[in-house]
Parts: sequence; C-alpha cells; structure tokens
Amino acid sequence: METNPRVTASLSARILCARHAHLALVTAWRRHPELRAEPVIVGGAPELRLPVIAASAAASASGVRPGQPLREAQQRCPAAAFVAADPAAVASIRAELLSRLCELAPIVEVGDDTTWCDLTGRHAAHRDETAWAVAIARSIAELLQDDGVAVGVAATRMVAEVAARQSGARRLHRVAPGAEAAFLAPLPLSALPLDPGMAARLAALGLDCAGAVAGLSAADLQRQFGPGGLELWRRVRGEGGVGEGWPVSRLDQGARQLGERVVLEGGIGDLEALRFAVHRLALGVGERLRRRGCRAAVVTLICELEEGEPVGLRTASLQRPGGGAELWPVALELLTRLRLPAPVTAVRLEVEGLEAGAGRQVDLWRGDAAAEEIGGAASRLRARFGTSAVRRAELAVDPGDLPERRFRWADPVMEAAVARSGDGAAVGGTVAPAEKRASEGRPRTAEKRTTESRLPVVSALRR
Amino acid sequence: MSTPLSQALAALRRRHGDGVIRSGDTLEGVEAWPTGIPVLDHRLAPGGIPLGRLSLLAAAAPGVSGRLTLLQALTATASRERTAVYLDLTGSLDPGFLADLGADLSALLLVRPPSGLWADGLSMARSLVRAGAPWIAIALPEPRAALVPSGPPDHRLAGQAAVTPSAPQEPQDSTVAARARPAADPGWEHRLTGLVEAVAARRAVCLVAAADPPAALGYAASLTLECVAEGWHEIHGDVLGLRTRLTVARSKVSAPGETVTLLLRYPRPFATAEVMARPEVVDLRTEAAAGIPVAAVG
Repeated sequence: METNPRVTASLSARILCARHAHLALVTAWRRHPELRAEPVIVGGAPELRLPVIAASAAASASGVRPGQPLREAQQRCPAAAFVAADPAAVASIRAELLSRLCELAPIVEVGDDTTWCDLTGRHAAHRDETAWAVAIARSIAELLQDDGVAVGVAATRMVAEVAARQSGARRLHRVAPGAEAAFLAPLPLSALPLDPGMAARLAALGLDCAGAVAGLSAADLQRQFGPGGLELWRRVRGEGGVGEGWPVSRLDQGARQLGERVVLEGGIGDLEALRFAVHRLALGVGERLRRRGCRAAVVTLICELEEGEPVGLRTASLQRPGGGAELWPVALELLTRLRLPAPVTAVRLEVEGLEAGAGRQVDLWRGDAAAEEIGGAASRLRARFGTSAVRRAELAVDPGDLPERRFRWADPVMEAAVARSGDGAAVGGTVAPAEKRASEGRPRTAEKRTTESRLPVVSALRR
Repeated sequence: MSTPLSQALAALRRRHGDGVIRSGDTLEGVEAWPTGIPVLDHRLAPGGIPLGRLSLLAAAAPGVSGRLTLLQALTATASRERTAVYLDLTGSLDPGFLADLGADLSALLLVRPPSGLWADGLSMARSLVRAGAPWIAIALPEPRAALVPSGPPDHRLAGQAAVTPSAPQEPQDSTVAARARPAADPGWEHRLTGLVEAVAARRAVCLVAAADPPAALGYAASLTLECVAEGWHEIHGDVLGLRTRLTVARSKVSAPGETVTLLLRYPRPFATAEVMARPEVVDLRTEAAAGIPVAAVG
C-alpha cells in the first residue's frame, strides 16, 4: 500500500496551538489595569462606525463577538468599557511574544489570539513533549498576564486548534500521534472549521459528528461536494488540509536590525585592542541573534574616530551568521579591511536583514548543537576560573621519554572557534588561516592578558 | 458507578493534573548507559549505569580499591561514543593513561578547578551538564591520603596494614587541605544538589569515585558500587592489573547485593599498539577459563 508522503510528513510533525487573550485586549489591560475584571470591548468609541476587534470574557458572555458593529455591542453589553485599539502597542507585544517564544521553539507564529509553535523533535531542556508544551504555555501566560491560556498539541494545525478549543483555560490537551481521527470522531461538526453550507448539508444528511463523516468513503464525499469533499474527508480524519503546512516565523520590521556599540576610553589606534573590542561586540550581537533564532544577511562595522567622520564597511555574507562564532570571522574581516586615519573612540557592529534561521537555536536540540553548547559553557568556565580550569589534552607527536611529555594541553574553545572560522572562510578567504597562524605563533594566555590591560572599555551601549 | 475512591482520584487529577496518580504498570523504567563490560551490565538491573542519576564508586576501605582505574576506563569508553567530562578533584589525572585506556582525548574535557574546592568543581560540572554534556566522571580525593606526606605511592590494598606507618601530618598546601576536608568547603552539598538536578534534567550519566564518600554524597547517589581490591594480577613478579570486587551496596533503581569481580588490567605505557585498544577491563571468569594465571595477594 502506498502512503502519501505529504500525509506521512504531516503526521510526523507536532504542532502546538495556544489560544490566549486577544493582543489588543492585553494592551488595553496594560493601559487600564482597573478594567481587568470588567467587561471590555476593544475597537473604539461606541458611536463610531467601526467593528469590535476584541472583547473580554465578561463581554463575550453577553453576546459580543469580534466583527460586530460597536453600536450593536453596546446594546448587548451596556456596562462594557470601550477602549480604542493601539496598533503600535499590539505590534510591540507581538514582537515581545515572538522573541520570547523563539527561545523555546524553532518555528513560531504569533496571531492575534492564537499562537503556533513547532514541537517536532525533542527539546534538550524538557523531558518530553508535555513538559515542553507546558513551558511554552507558561511563558505565554506570564508575558500576557493571561490566566486563560488553553493549549492543544497535535500533528496538524487544525487538530491542534480543535484540541486547544476543547481544552479549558490553563489546560493542555495533547492528541497522541496517530490518534487524530479517534480524537475528532465524537466531536460535533460545529467544532471543526468547516464551511457553514457544507456543515448544514451534512446535518441534513444525518451526519452530526466527525466520526460519521470519516466513516464515508472519499469518493462518496467527492461526489457530493466536489473537490471540497476530498478536503472534508481529510480534515475529519485529522490529516490536515491543503495549505496546512508548518507555521511560519514572523519577524516584525522592528526586529530586522540589531546592533551594539562599545565606547573606548580615549582614542585607540592599536589594532589588537580594536580586535578585542570587535570580538566582544561580535559575541554580544551573536548571542542576541542566537536567542532570536535569526541569521543576518548584512553585517556592518563602524568605527567612530577621534577626528573626522566615522568610517565603516558593510558586507553581505554568503554564509549568514546566526551566532557569535559565525559573526566573529565576518567582523574580523571587516576590521582588517578598514583603513583608520585616526584613533577610534567607539566601535559599532550592526546586523541587518534578519531572517528566521529555523532549527538554528542550538540550545534547543541535542546532537551536533550540544558540542557548541558545551564549548560555550567551557569558555565561560575558563573566563571565571582561569584558563587551566577546563582543558583538552592531545597526544604529543613525539612523546620522548618523559611521561609528562606524552601529551600536551589544548584549548578546546579556541580550537572550536578556529574550526568554525575555517567554515567562514567563504566570506573573506584568508581570515581564518591568518588568525590561526597568529594564534599559534605566540602564547595565547599572554596575548589575552595584554589585550585586556590595553583596552579601557568604559561602557557598552545596547541599541 | 462511581465509588468514593474513584471520586477522590478524579478530584485529585482535576486539582493536580493527570500525571500525579498513575498505576504501577505505567511507570517509566530507568534508562541506562551500558558500560561495555557485559558482566557488569548484566548484574546492574537497568543494564548499566542509570541515566539521569548520580552513581557512586566507593572504596570499602582506604587504600587501593580500583575505583579510579574503573572510572577512567569507563570514561575512556564513553569518550569514544560522546563528549565526556572528567572532573579531577584529586589533581592526579594523567591524560596519557587515559589515552592508553583507549580514550578519545579530542572528545574528553578535563576539568580541574584551580582552587581545588569541591564546591567549585561541582559548580563547573553542573554548568557543563546543563550545557548538554551527556557523560561526566568525578574523581574525589581520598581525605586521608592528603594527610600523609608526599612520597612514593601507597600500593597497599584496602584493609592491609601499613608496612611503615607514619604519623599523619597536616598538609602544607592549602589546596590539598581543601581537598582533604570537604567539611571545610562550605556550600559543596548545595552545589551537589544542583548537579543532581542538572543530571536529572538532562538525563546525563554522572559517575563519582570517592574513597570515603561523605553522607550527603551517599544520599544523593542512586547507585552505590562498593569497590574492594582482592589482589594484584602479577606475572613474573610484575604487577599487570588489579582484581576488584564490585558490590551493589545501595541502589534506588534495583535490588542491592549483586556482586561481580573484575580484573582491571593496566595498559603498558608508551605502547603505541595499546593506545587504540579497548580498555582492559575483563571478567575474571573469562580470564580463568582462558587459562590466564591470576596471582593472589595476601
């Protein structure tokens, strides 16, 4: 029996749907905390000819629905407070929610009152899917200060959304892989996102639940409803529908650029000191990129001079950096190409053209990413406890007779950085080998100590 | 028909979640990391060293017990499969010996806190485990060993009387003093709790070797293997290995009391052929069947 690869791929996916308060309502609550227990209608003053954008639970209980005219909403719920929508605040909170969830899932889509996350695979920090979903739900509830977050997890978007609707507030409804059809079978057709006309015709035929429709053959439904019948057959079996692929990360315009600036005390003309400052900037910006799960298309390095206009260079990297280890070689190449006519007072590193680097959040997954994470942790321990705290040994090529000469200590972090900068050679060509040669030619610890003493960093300003 | 019991269960599940009450047959089993030593894996109920828990190799008495050799042999095995971390609080690790045991040194991180404090070491171990290090070995020093003056190594087996007894002296080095007295290292128990939590969260393998484990370490360990040296393995008067008896003294994952005897054969230093060899940990029964002479000490 042949299997439909699209269906198989869809069933192996795991998607989380979280239903929460409308973002416009959340912004209204933030502006007017005293209205949190009151019926609230967001959309504007009732005398305006505008529709309802969002309504609180108390207002919804009176029959107020999004899309209704505000005047009708006032008639249904006279005691409600009417609040104008604030699109800028909604965009801000959406970006905030997106940024936070990108630290928990590789692919995120934030809607007005629904959020989608990709839970396919296994998270390194959470024992199982339930714990992962709970962490996401808690994060949403904490940020939005909404106690009524309802979460559903299933193999397709539609089933996940139905599961979220079926679960109550502060509840998680998880549909096990392969149990989609069984989950949908007892539900009334009104619980599924179906065309109302089609649902009415099915009801007229005596088909009142999804299981009854799923029991029919695809050919019968196609004869009755045309191409929509096949789509209906797939939906009631929980196999997803056309256009129901992965959720897509959305990055708001405001988050498409990141940058950091380091102010140096006095004018610095020493290239080694500048190199240290740029390295620090690259790690900082790279960390922010990594936490957002983004990659940058354009990297810009700007040096503010003691006298004259700032000078800078920009490069469109072929291998788009998504972390500090990838950004550092690009920034170093820019620094080496830069001609500095005067001492530098401040250095700025900016990345633009951010786009979602799905699956690049190395802290999420086991496997290859673990080595990078462990290397980062070792680097932090070395910074805190000293260079000899975490080391890697390697056998000496010519051990000689003395036991202590059979091995020598290697630096795991620098090794990893050199290896990664070797990958980034496509950007600049000779940066990585030159860097490696430079690091091999002198004692590394002495170099770092000298550089640190030379660089009087006053402050690092984040933009 | 709902009984008071079913109502109570339903109320508890509503209040605290579905996972709080489960029937015994739905409990998850303990996963294990197979050590690669069949006789040991066979005797340990989960099939090896349990994942997500702290396991302890403890010496039954001061002196030679084979715990560190076994720890390093297992570390060598682990380094060939994954990134392994060796936290050396004894300050006596020889990476060349690990290489002789077959360790992949490029996959092995050697951690040694400059202060020598247990708290620092455990804190570093916790950081690495939280970062995803899947296998970590911790070698704790023998408190009494630090109190004797430095000199030739003590080759006494556990339980043997000293040939030339010497009066304990206070260590001169502050680092050694810190290693010798964990009680003087405030906060190490707290760091140990953090490490145990991290190991449980990341389902890592954590193996600790200690001669005289403090009570807190014993409580934190889910599996305690007691090591007793039974005798040297000698050929023509040369010591080639150590016979060690392992007893499951305490276990939260299986029944205690299982015993297994291993021959820990020391690799020959500077032997290139053995650098790539597997750790020389063999089952004594296999050795006896193969007719290899085993010398008893005593």
